[in-house]
Amino acid sequence: MKIVAAKSLLKANDQLAAENRAKLEADGVFGLNVVGSPGAGKTTLLEALFAQLTDRIRPAVIEGDIAGSIDAERIAKLGVPVIQINTEGACHLDANMIAAALEGIDGEDIDLLVIENVGNLVCTAGYDLGEKLRIVVLSVSEGDDKAAKYPAIFQGSEALFITKTDLLPHCNFDIKRISADMKRLAPEAEIFQVSALDGKGIPDAADWLANLRNS
Amino acid sequence: MHELSLCQTLIDHVEKEVERAGQKGRVVIVEVVVGRFSGVHPDSLRFAFELLTADTILEGAEMNVAEPKATCCCRGCNARVEIDEMPVECPECRGNDITIEGGRELLLQSIEIEDQS
Repeated sequence: MKIVAAKSLLKANDQLAAENRAKLEADGVFGLNVVGSPGAGKTTLLEALFAQLTDRIRPAVIEGDIAGSIDAERIAKLGVPVIQINTEGACHLDANMIAAALEGIDGEDIDLLVIENVGNLVCTAGYDLGEKLRIVVLSVSEGDDKAAKYPAIFQGSEALFITKTDLLPHCNFDIKRISADMKRLAPEAEIFQVSALDGKGIPDAADWLANLRNS
Repeated sequence: MHELSLCQTLIDHVEKEVERAGQKGRVVIVEVVVGRFSGVHPDSLRFAFELLTADTILEGAEMNVAEPKATCCCRGCNARVEIDEMPVECPECRGNDITIEGGRELLLQSIEIEDQS
């Protein structure tokens, strides 16, 4: 006998993600999923952005890491509420983990929830967390071919943050190439060039984020 | 990518469907649909399937994998082209006003159960 099921294997995640999204929207919280390789500078970018944003908006952060709480401790130092999720080996956050973390966050107290995903350009592309918007972070030392090599993660992101631009003189990184690839994969996406070290590009990126929150 | 955990979800779904159908027999064939851009590698899924089905009603079952292609649709020249790899431009006119249809499927399609009669 044959049973026709036609069941999506990611459906459970997608349903939970929809619930997370509804909860955040009901509380007036803007959800932001931050993805990128390990070492791309996701946490450093957040630190730099928060330095310019905390007088305008009230952020909170969910930190996803395979182990430890190094990133969460860095965020906590800024006085920003933070919840650490340890995936214990899993290569991505999923909507179920976010649902559990949301229990510990009072939506009344915040305007922006940043979810810093596990450093990974592959698996994180497959899991909707319930965010409003996803941004992908790529440092210039990783190479300008990454959008072409990992299209799914770039295609599903609404903005690209090119980080560590202070290293450009030392890297063979063509901004034009990565920008062209990103525009092809995600024509509507914003592209920011930032350096947390010298602060270049950070004010514009912070304004963009603040305006998104208010739009 | 995360074939092991997806495969466990697959097995959970199969067990639930078989129970819901009131069947007691062993599962002989499981049909799944894995889109080219789902991020799932069929060989890894098969490997995980062998490992995880031991001592379940799926032990020894065959897994058939359908791999539907995606279509690149160009708004510039209206071409619809079947693709194996994620394109950065329209394969016909090289324009970049393209959308991709399909290819991300990840489905448990059907389950075949041994007849008990």
